[in-house]
Order: sequence, then C-alpha cells, then structure tokens
Amino acid sequence: MQQPTVNIIGAGPAGLNAAISLAKLEIKVNLFEKQDKPGGHLSHWHSLFPNMYDAKTLLKSTINNIKHPNIKLYTSKNIKQIKRQNNQWTISSDQNQEYTSDAVIITSGFNLFDATKKEEYGYGIYPQVITSLELEQMFNKRSKWPFSEEIEAPKAGFVHCVGSRDTKCGNNWCSKVCCVKAVKQAIEFKKLFPKAEVNCFYMDLRMFGKGYEELYMKAQVDYNIQFVRGRLSEASPANGNKVNIKAEDTLMNRPLKQNLDMLVLMVGMTPAILLNKQSEHIDFVKPKFQQGFITPVDNYQSIISQDTPGVFAAGTCKGPASLIDVIQDAKATAFEVLEYLKKEKEKKAEILEKFNMICAH
Amino acid sequence: MCPLNFGYSVSEVKVIDLNQEKPVWLKKIFKLEPSLYRCISCGNCAAICTAGHFTEMKFYRLCLNAFRGQTSELKNNAKACILCGKCQFACPRGVNIRHAIMLITQIQQP
Ligand code: SF4
Ligand code: SF4
Ligand code: SF4
Repeated sequence: MQQPTVNIIGAGPAGLNAAISLAKLEIKVNLFEKQDKPGGHLSHWHSLFPNMYDAKTLLKSTINNIKHPNIKLYTSKNIKQIKRQNNQWTISSDQNQEYTSDAVIITSGFNLFDATKKEEYGYGIYPQVITSLELEQMFNKRSKWPFSEEIEAPKAGFVHCVGSRDTKCGNNWCSKVCCVKAVKQAIEFKKLFPKAEVNCFYMDLRMFGKGYEELYMKAQVDYNIQFVRGRLSEASPANGNKVNIKAEDTLMNRPLKQNLDMLVLMVGMTPAILLNKQSEHIDFVKPKFQQGFITPVDNYQSIISQDTPGVFAAGTCKGPASLIDVIQDAKATAFEVLEYLKKEKEKKAEILEKFNMICAH
Repeated sequence: MCPLNFGYSVSEVKVIDLNQEKPVWLKKIFKLEPSLYRCISCGNCAAICTAGHFTEMKFYRLCLNAFRGQTSELKNNAKACILCGKCQFACPRGVNIRHAIMLITQIQQP
C-alpha cells in the first residue's frame, strides 16, 4: 500500500513537533505555514521559562529536525478550507492550490490579544506602555527600551491578565503562561538593570508548571520583585516621560499609584481561527466574540469531531497552553493519527477481502 | 473652615504612593532579614499568632506595610509580639519572622 500522507496546518511548535514525530513513523507530511518562515510565536522569544533556556537554540534544533525526507514544508500558504473527498481530506490554500491527504492536523496556534482594545492602559498612545512580546524583542535587541539610556534604575510594572479572564473582551479564559512569563521577564529585566524597581500587578498568581513556583520565589528573594494584588485601573501620562498608573492594592485595602518608565502588558492568547464545520468541508473563518478555540470530542483525544474522521487538532489552537504542554500534545496527537491511519488501512483491507469473496462466488 | 460641607472629606493620605523613596532604616531591615521577600501574604502567621488573639498583631500586615513603605504604625504594631515563635513554625515560606520583628522594634528610626 501507498505511504499515508498527513497535512499539518501551521508550522509553530505544535505543527513542527507533530511533523517530526509522524515522519519518524514513516508517514509523509505536508507542513503548511502562513508566514514565510516556520517557528510561530517561538521565533519571538528570547529565553524560555522556567529554566531561561535559549529560545533560538530550541527553534534552530526543531527546524533542523524537519529537514527530513518525509516532510515537505510549504511557507506563505494561508489555508482557508479543508474538503472531504471519499475518505481523504483535500486542503486548499488562498492561491487555490490543493493538497490531498489521509488525515489532517490543525496546529494553527493562537493570536496575541490586541492590547489597544484595553484603552485604559494607553497602549499605542504612550510609548512607555509595551506588550510582553515587545519586551521579548527588546531582550533580543531587536528594538530599543521605551526609556532613556541614561536611566540607571528604571521603574517597571507588569500587568497580568491583559485580555484574559475578562468577560468585557469576550475572553473568559486564563491564558496560563503569562503569570510565569511575567516572572521570567521581570527577572530578565532585573538582570539587565540590577537597580530597577519592578512591580507585578496580578489578580491571582498561577504557577502551575514544574519549576514555576520556584521561579516565582526566586523573583521575590533573589531579585526583590514585588507582587501587588490588584488589577490596574488605568495608565495616564506623567511628567518626565513617565506613565502614572493606578490600582487598588487589595491586600492593603487601599488605592495605589506610581510613575513608571515602562509598563508591560502581559497580553493573553486569543483564538487565531474559527472552524465552520459542514458535513463535507470545514472552513477556516475569523474568530467571533468568545468563540474560536477548537474543542475536540473530549479532553483526552485530539480528534475534533465524530463527523469529521481524520481531522485532529494539536497545540494552542485548542486553548492556552505552555510550550512544554504543546510539544507533548503534538507528539501524542501524532500517535493518535498513526492509530487512525492503521485502522483505516485495516478497514480498507477488510472491504477488499469481502469484495474478493463476493467475486469468487 | 471649609465653606462647603459635602458630608465627607477627601484625604490624599489614603493613597499608597510608590513614588516615595523608602527610608534608609527600612531598607536596612530588608537587607538584614532578606527572608522577608519570601512572604506571600498567606496569613498563616496571623492565624496562629498568640498575641493576635488579644491585639492587632498580624505579621503579614507588618510585612505588607513595610513593602509598601507605610511605616507610621510599623514599630508600634510590632511591639505586641511576645516572640513566642509559633508563627515561624507555621510559615510555609520560611520567613524568619521573629528576627524581622526584633529588627522592626529595635532599629533606630529618626
Ligand atoms: S496566567 Fe496569570 S496573567 Fe495569564 S491570564 Fe492566567 S492568571 Fe492572568
Ligand atoms: S512570635 Fe510574635 S508574631 Fe509570631 S506567633 Fe508569637 S506573638 Fe505572634
Ligand atoms: S506565614 Fe509566612 S508567608 Fe504566610 S503571611 Fe506569614 S510570613 Fe508571610
């Protein structure tokens, strides 16, 4: 029988890892990426929590691994639709090219929350207000600090849950990684500016992963980063190229204010696409308010629906997840796809056998 | 006297102003007892506190006030502690509470 083929939509950490796993299992993979390079959000990171592992090293080794005879990478391909034909799925890009496969894995990832939607923080208006992504770019020396180089002891604030846990934005979920990312970034900032004063404004600190709580304690003890419980209510311009922030310090039961040289918004994860499922095709459309993340048939499998056999989802397109979780999910999904392909093959063999029997009579 | 009476008064004092530089003696306390940075305001120390049954003594509130630079009541509140050490057994973050309290009560404040 022919070598089975799997189309994977999205070449971020989930897509890359699923592709590598399948290729090793002797399955042919077409990997599609919207951008001109693979890597997804990982390519913006400087170092990774909780061990401060160099993000570029991980990205490089992962991309190296997809140089495999079983993997074909297609970049700058925006997928709009997948169609069911017989027992196969054909995906079509916006350039009207078609690719047929025996199974599909959707690994389309997430979009970062658009911080301009939280107008009260003045993102895009005050240059001191930046997103966590932009701070990572500053660590990567791809852009400049939002304050003057003469400032030796900058005052910085991190706002947790920007665009997460917020029904006003339609994002009821917790984005999971921003708490520990804020801790990581605060430490990294303190390493560069040991005299800096850093406050993190949080609602809850969610240090769920291995080594996260330890990193949080390290931030407190070794880097003297302060954690203030309370959501920032607003940022406004202040004298001397600063922004003034206001929050309720809920543990102190009192309002609080401070002038900052840099305010970092920990922007959350939002859905990148919404699947419009029809019986014979699935369209990829723009997410709607409160909708978008893919819900598989249950929490323990990656098949997206009983009516669309052969279509799986892995990684953050199913909802916020850490990089470690995404990589593990991608590998597990690859195995689920293998099982599916095996079963399909057995079914086909059975049908063929029956057919032969009928013909023999 | 204010010519208008709104039935309430407004006081700036309520707002915690983090722009204010912390006094040197307070910074010294953090330096001499850096385990204070470990506190997560869980409240265990207050729940178990001997003095807390009869007074306003709540160590985590002293700690919070110190971090926010609110020093006016610090020394006075710390005085209620009888240094029994129960809180230190209970603290999940290993804060050296008794030493911190001794520093607060004994350090010279101008
Ligand atoms: S991980 Fe933390 S910052 Fe991010 S949404 Fe959840 S609680 Fe908020
Ligand atoms: S040492 Fe002081 S603060 Fe701690 S339990 Fe005893 S009285 Fe309370
Ligand atoms: S028990 Fe320890 S960690 Fe908890 S509030 Fe008291 S000092 Fe802080």
